[in-house]
Amino acid sequence: MRKVKSIFVQRKNIVYTFIAILLILFPFMNDSRSMMILFTQVFIFAIFAMSYDLLLGFTGIVSFGHAMFFGIGAYAVGIFMKQFEPTLPYFLLAVVITILITAIVSYVVGLLTLRLKSHFYAMLTLAFASLFLVLAEKWRTLTHGNDGFTFRTPELFRDRLDFYLICLVSMIVVFLLLNRFTNSPLGKVLQAIRENEQRTESLGYSVIQYKIIASVVSGVLAGFAGILYSVSLRFVNTSVFTMDITLDALLMTIIGGVGTLIGAIIGAGLIEFAHHWLTELAKVHWIFERWIIFFGIIYILVVMFFPRGIVGTVRNIKMKSKKRVIEKSEQQKAAG
Amino acid sequence: MRKGGEEELDVFFNLTLNGLATGMLIFLLAAGLTLIFGLMDVLNFAHGGLFAWGAYSGTWLYATTGSFIIGILGAVVTGLILGLITERVIIKPVYGNHVQQILITLGLMLVLSELLKVVWGPNQLSATAPDFLKGSFELGGIIIIKYRLFIIAVGFLVFVTVQYVLKNTKIGLVVRAGVMNKEMVQALGINIKKVFMLVFMVGSGMAALGGVLLGPYSGVIHAEMGMEFAILAFIVVVIGGMGSFPGSILAAILVGLSGSFMAYYVPDLALAANMLLMAVVLIFRPQGLFGWKG
Repeated sequence: MRKVKSIFVQRKNIVYTFIAILLILFPFMNDSRSMMILFTQVFIFAIFAMSYDLLLGFTGIVSFGHAMFFGIGAYAVGIFMKQFEPTLPYFLLAVVITILITAIVSYVVGLLTLRLKSHFYAMLTLAFASLFLVLAEKWRTLTHGNDGFTFRTPELFRDRLDFYLICLVSMIVVFLLLNRFTNSPLGKVLQAIRENEQRTESLGYSVIQYKIIASVVSGVLAGFAGILYSVSLRFVNTSVFTMDITLDALLMTIIGGVGTLIGAIIGAGLIEFAHHWLTELAKVHWIFERWIIFFGIIYILVVMFFPRGIVGTVRNIKMKSKKRVIEKSEQQKAAG
Repeated sequence: MRKGGEEELDVFFNLTLNGLATGMLIFLLAAGLTLIFGLMDVLNFAHGGLFAWGAYSGTWLYATTGSFIIGILGAVVTGLILGLITERVIIKPVYGNHVQQILITLGLMLVLSELLKVVWGPNQLSATAPDFLKGSFELGGIIIIKYRLFIIAVGFLVFVTVQYVLKNTKIGLVVRAGVMNKEMVQALGINIKKVFMLVFMVGSGMAALGGVLLGPYSGVIHAEMGMEFAILAFIVVVIGGMGSFPGSILAAILVGLSGSFMAYYVPDLALAANMLLMAVVLIFRPQGLFGWKG
């Protein structure tokens, strides 16, 4: 049994490594600039979606304000690059500030609502995100309101190819980190909370503290994704705080598969590419301008019928066939 | 000196009236939300979508038929029908699973507001009040805008009606009992699923009514306003207590008034004030100021 499992894990790792190498080599084989930019976006949103997956998929917390962490990161780096020098030290300072603010905000929001029913967290994050949106609109001296502002980035991020690789490596690092995190004893407790909160509580775990930890880690990572996002555009405006960003994360994790991490990456790829192709199709028929409607419907159907998303559903099917193989071999052993 | 005082009084009355009108609109949205939550344990994140659908369908009907009454009735009917479809198709399969409910209703919100743009186009529509509600009149030196008074009257009428039904009819009794303990109600041989459906429809109808009333009040309607008002309604539901119908009107008026006064004196902090209020309530009285459910 254990041997069978280790073979599967090994094979999975080989596939992942292979894909990672392919992605690293991709810009050297294909010099389409728009493709490279699109892939960069996919990596950034994959980080964002994975951070969301930690909450939704691993801990069972629904947040409707994930955009606020994304936006905090995006604005922090933008403001630092604009007000001070676009150099690496200031960039790092922006990263530190982002980590601090996102950690504090997620801690406070978590503390306020995570001891209550799941509705409260969803509602409060939604309200908080709209508060940040208003703040970004009103604090004109710093944010230039709705229009946003452009800024220069440190030397390191100016080359598209370098930035592509930075984002790719960031995504892989975040994936490995979260993979390690969710498989750690702490991660197991989070999954126990997702499965049955009362039982975890009665086993002696202080559920609220674990939930807050998940919420803070998730918030900080989302802030990091926001930093990369605004650096990639060299521009930031209030759209980073809107519901659309949260909806992106939701669609990506739900359709890709909750609680799997890799599902979030696949979801990010799917949504970003669909966005790219479908907006081009808008020239053919205007309905494609409203492409999000298709994803909304798919999303509802997935929540209803395939709550584990693409990756989860595929895994279920695989698991069943694996079980069958094991059962067969055991039967043969018993017979032989 | 005296003149200044009078002006201040004028401003005060206007802000109060304004806040009451906004509060009533939020109440129409929050009442359905809180009843549905209390009875069915479902927090409907698509409620703002129903509100926006009411606004668009009502405004459109008013513009095509020329009758404001038909516009209002049309909006309510749209709300009832959409509520029925939502309950049957979207909510019913996921009763009992909180995470799925929250996720699915937000998905519906997305689809509803995108569908609005498909049907009526992505631009905002302008809405005007009918002639008999246009303009203002003077009462004891204070200028009162008719339409605001109309909204307050309608909101109050809805509150009184629903409160009467809840307190004095059999169906109201069932709903109130269901909020307290739905298993018990079911055990007594009452088909609670039918009651769920009815309450969901009425809640959606009220939201749609709020939407169509908002049109002439703000002058323009757009698809995003559903979410904006839904956030205020959520704040109201938390402050008033989830599941408490009288709580929802008191909290709605509180939020409406604080919004209108803050918007005049410290405009940048209008939303923040309400958020702060909600945060304080969440810390000290998570069951809400007027509620009993946690």
